[in-house]
Amino acid sequence: MNDTATTSEEPGHIDRPLFVAVMLLVAFGIVMVYSASVVMATHQMDNSTYFLGRQVVYAVIGIVIMMMVSRIDYHIFQNSAVIWTILGISFAGLLLCHTPLGATINGASRWLRMGPITVQPAEAVKVSLILWLSYSLAKKSSRIKSFSIGFLPHLLVPGVLMFACMLQPDFGTTVVIALLTFSLLFIAGAKMGYIMLAGIVAAPIAYLLATGSEYRFKRLLTFLDPLATRYGDGYQLTQSLFGFGSGGLTGVGIGDGLQKFLFLPEAHNDFISSIIAEELGVIGIWMTMLLCAVVIGRGILIGFRARDEFGSFIASGLSILLGVQVLANMGVAMGLLPTKGLNLPFVSFGGSALVFSLAAIGVLLSISRGGRVPQLKEMSQRNWSSKGNVRKANRAGSEGVA
Amino acid sequence: MVSLPSGRDQWIRVRIMILVIVMMAGAAAVAHGAWQLGVTRAQELTNLAAEQYTRRIKISAHRGMITDRHGEELAVEIEVKSVYADPRKVTNPQIVAAALALLLGVDAMKMESRLGSDRHFVWLKRRVSPQIAQAVEKLGFPGVSLVDESKRFYPNRSLGSHIIGFAGLDSNGLEGVELRFDGVLQGNAEAATGLSDARGRMVFSDGAFGSDGIVGRSVELTIDRTLQYIVEQELLNAIRVFEAKAGHIIMMDPSTGEILALANYPTYNPNRINKSTAENRRNRAVLDVFEPGSTFKIFTLAAALNAGKLRPDQKTFCERGRMEIFDVVIHDDHRDGWLNPTECLKRSSNICFAKIAQGLSRKRLYHYIRRFGFGERTHIQLPFEMRGTLNHHKKWYDIDTATTSFGQGIGVTGIQMATALSAIANGGKLMKPLIVRRIIGQSGETERSFAPQVRRRVISRYTARMVADMMTAVTEEGGTGTQAALNGYLVAGKTGTAQKSEGSKGYAKDRWIASFFGFVPSDRPRLAISIVIDEPLINHYGGTVAAPVFKRIADQSLRYLGVSPRFSGKSRASAKKKNVRAAKMERSKRQDPANGLRDDEMGPSSVFADMLELGPGQVRTPHLLGMSMIDAMEILSSEGLRPLFMGTGIAAEQIPQSDEPIDKGEFVQVNFMPLPELGTLSEEDADTGADSQGVP
Repeated sequence: MNDTATTSEEPGHIDRPLFVAVMLLVAFGIVMVYSASVVMATHQMDNSTYFLGRQVVYAVIGIVIMMMVSRIDYHIFQNSAVIWTILGISFAGLLLCHTPLGATINGASRWLRMGPITVQPAEAVKVSLILWLSYSLAKKSSRIKSFSIGFLPHLLVPGVLMFACMLQPDFGTTVVIALLTFSLLFIAGAKMGYIMLAGIVAAPIAYLLATGSEYRFKRLLTFLDPLATRYGDGYQLTQSLFGFGSGGLTGVGIGDGLQKFLFLPEAHNDFISSIIAEELGVIGIWMTMLLCAVVIGRGILIGFRARDEFGSFIASGLSILLGVQVLANMGVAMGLLPTKGLNLPFVSFGGSALVFSLAAIGVLLSISRGGRVPQLKEMSQRNWSSKGNVRKANRAGSEGVA
Repeated sequence: MVSLPSGRDQWIRVRIMILVIVMMAGAAAVAHGAWQLGVTRAQELTNLAAEQYTRRIKISAHRGMITDRHGEELAVEIEVKSVYADPRKVTNPQIVAAALALLLGVDAMKMESRLGSDRHFVWLKRRVSPQIAQAVEKLGFPGVSLVDESKRFYPNRSLGSHIIGFAGLDSNGLEGVELRFDGVLQGNAEAATGLSDARGRMVFSDGAFGSDGIVGRSVELTIDRTLQYIVEQELLNAIRVFEAKAGHIIMMDPSTGEILALANYPTYNPNRINKSTAENRRNRAVLDVFEPGSTFKIFTLAAALNAGKLRPDQKTFCERGRMEIFDVVIHDDHRDGWLNPTECLKRSSNICFAKIAQGLSRKRLYHYIRRFGFGERTHIQLPFEMRGTLNHHKKWYDIDTATTSFGQGIGVTGIQMATALSAIANGGKLMKPLIVRRIIGQSGETERSFAPQVRRRVISRYTARMVADMMTAVTEEGGTGTQAALNGYLVAGKTGTAQKSEGSKGYAKDRWIASFFGFVPSDRPRLAISIVIDEPLINHYGGTVAAPVFKRIADQSLRYLGVSPRFSGKSRASAKKKNVRAAKMERSKRQDPANGLRDDEMGPSSVFADMLELGPGQVRTPHLLGMSMIDAMEILSSEGLRPLFMGTGIAAEQIPQSDEPIDKGEFVQVNFMPLPELGTLSEEDADTGADSQGVP
């Protein structure tokens, strides 16, 4: 793949398996969104391709952004002004949801109206938090073992974001942020004792939050026995399980599922894996997981090969974010986890999620290119050559400012 | 990380790998979970899912039609609105419940508990009128919505109700053909699922998934609506004239076993099931077991002739009307001497038939009775058919051979009698009675047709012919069934007058079953008709109560079917006799105004009349409805017809219908209604409108 020369301005090749796997997932997502939403779209919008059309537009926008981001040297995020601005905007977005700019749907203020489109700031928060944590952890890598410098700030900032998420309320994102924070602290080498301590403190809080709200407690009960309340609170989960059951090993065939006939709420969104299971069966679910695994695996590999700690943290953080989302989404659809509003990355319908996920992949691709660090040119060439993954030095760092 | 000291670099990788392993464990759990649901628990979940699809489908699928043999609609679907709620979206259950309880006429407490449930879907009221639906829509309570539902509608109301049956709220057949052919009428729920959603609405009007199956198939009956109407009217007349408790009539095409009409009294309107009693809904022709009495003699006779145990000219001594066998005395009404078989039947001598049965032997008698289909189900396509009661001959007492020969101590159903009668009419073949002719797919193609089916040959064609001839004598001068005789057609028949059995207490003194079983024309039978009138008060003789009903039904039906008479009416002495009873029956034709009007609505007889050829000496019946008595009289006399006028007012009903061919000099019956009664007519009409609310 290295012999097919591109322009000499290129810093390096993007990671092609990652790119292909993501494109396959996006394409698969478009197909599944159409299949899952066609009934609802016809029914509510009087336009069977309403969701399909939107998802295609989001995908195009997302891919353009991804390609753009992949050409930006990821070290731009290592600038404290830049990273704080990004984090600040995301955080402001979370808070703005409660203002008249926000939109409240089903009692949750998770959306921001921006002209004709609505944006879900939580999707941005997840990605920007990974960037910030990576920046901060890389900066403080030498003092990571200390509590006040290496540990506490990396709990405080996510803590504030989590609090903002709980205000929405968005329990799912809160949990994802917590998991990401602990993961990155662990990777960066924070003291295990601190992490465990934080975990011990966090667990009762999480428990109180989960049981404190009647609605979340009900969800918890529902998850324990969905069929018992299948006409009430367990309805959605029961319907999702029906999808898995009806699909069997190989599914009923794409487009032929019945659960999307308004039986399963959110079929095109949080519960799309149930539609995948119904129409493509257990095999379909496994193949989807395999594609996601390729994306995550390549992300981890990019993290291994990144030229600095910063890139390594970002890549592993984003990979873990994807992994957590995939597992949580499917786990919820199967009733293995309590119901949370988490989408299946690249596949579920949703502009914010798709665009920010693709932007995150753009960052991963940028890391895979190695970034523009001229002084490291020779070193990188030597190292990568020895691993049989040759990147030509003249391509690696000669790009201008992005 | 290449820029970093390798120690820390390696540790970071190790820690990432640890997280990757944790994620892989999670992935394994999820992959296993998918297997658990999709393979291990697949059956359980699929069954539960199928249950909900079917439940939804049942309220949404379009049930197939039921039509008569000419495609006239007997049961159809109409669209109406139903009110449902998603209680979780209802913001103020108390207020909504109070308002809707008032509007929908549902108990407020009930309404509140429904709205307070934690389900996503509750019915508030099924099938409301368009006005109420509109009002609900206007109120616009969040979470309260309307949905289109189909409702079963029976345009002919009580006509054929016992055959058609009826369907329940969820479009499930509960009686009659609706029940027996429920699966066919409902359509293939599996195929239909793709077309309706969780709210039971159709998502795609057609085509998207192939529209087969969403609409149930139609069922075409063997019933002829016009004949059914004639039969029901005549049954009603007879019941009223003789003040009977109940009755049933079956008209069968003897050559095919197709049932052309089947009427019961009392009857009911399937559009208003909740206003009918189980007694009224009972399909007596198939369900009631009765002692056939003398009518059963034709089968004894057929058996003896076919077995060669009785020669057609063999005389039997009638013992002057009194015979003692096995310590039991058998009486006849007449003190006859030697009678040939024809005379035995004509005079309906119990003694002769007891003797004939003795000559035949109880084993052969039993054998033939079984061959004629008694003691077993006829397998008519209607639910809950009774088998009747027939003991095995080894359990018979000595006297039983005698009593069975003239129809006592044995229980039969109307449909068994009609089927056995048809076997004699059609030359000895026992047919399977048919009530459904065809199942018609959505695009009008025949999906299944029920061809006539010979179950077995019971007697030889020659024997059948002989018995038919002997039965013809019954309706001729000196027979018991002269009142069944027709102008222009030979009628074969047998009267029956049976005291009702009261179980162990013997026979009731004053409760009778009057019956007549016959076919016409006797030389080439087109119609076999069984008539059973239960507990008539005014008179109880089959020849007086049931035979005239036969005549009147056969007369109208043969004309409707266009069966041309074989000879002029004048050649038959018995046919000339216009009796007082018939006149009385005619008078009783004055029925409630609704029926009078419906006669006109029905109309197919006049449609068919156009196709009927005018015979020699025939004219078309003039249209008289709406005329005054004087006008009608004038028109009739100008056509050479004789008036038979009932009531006062203006002409509301006429028999025969206008344009039907009629012999000159025949009577045309016209029922007149005073105008105030026409007022009630419009009220009844409005009532029907309420029945059919929602019809566009």
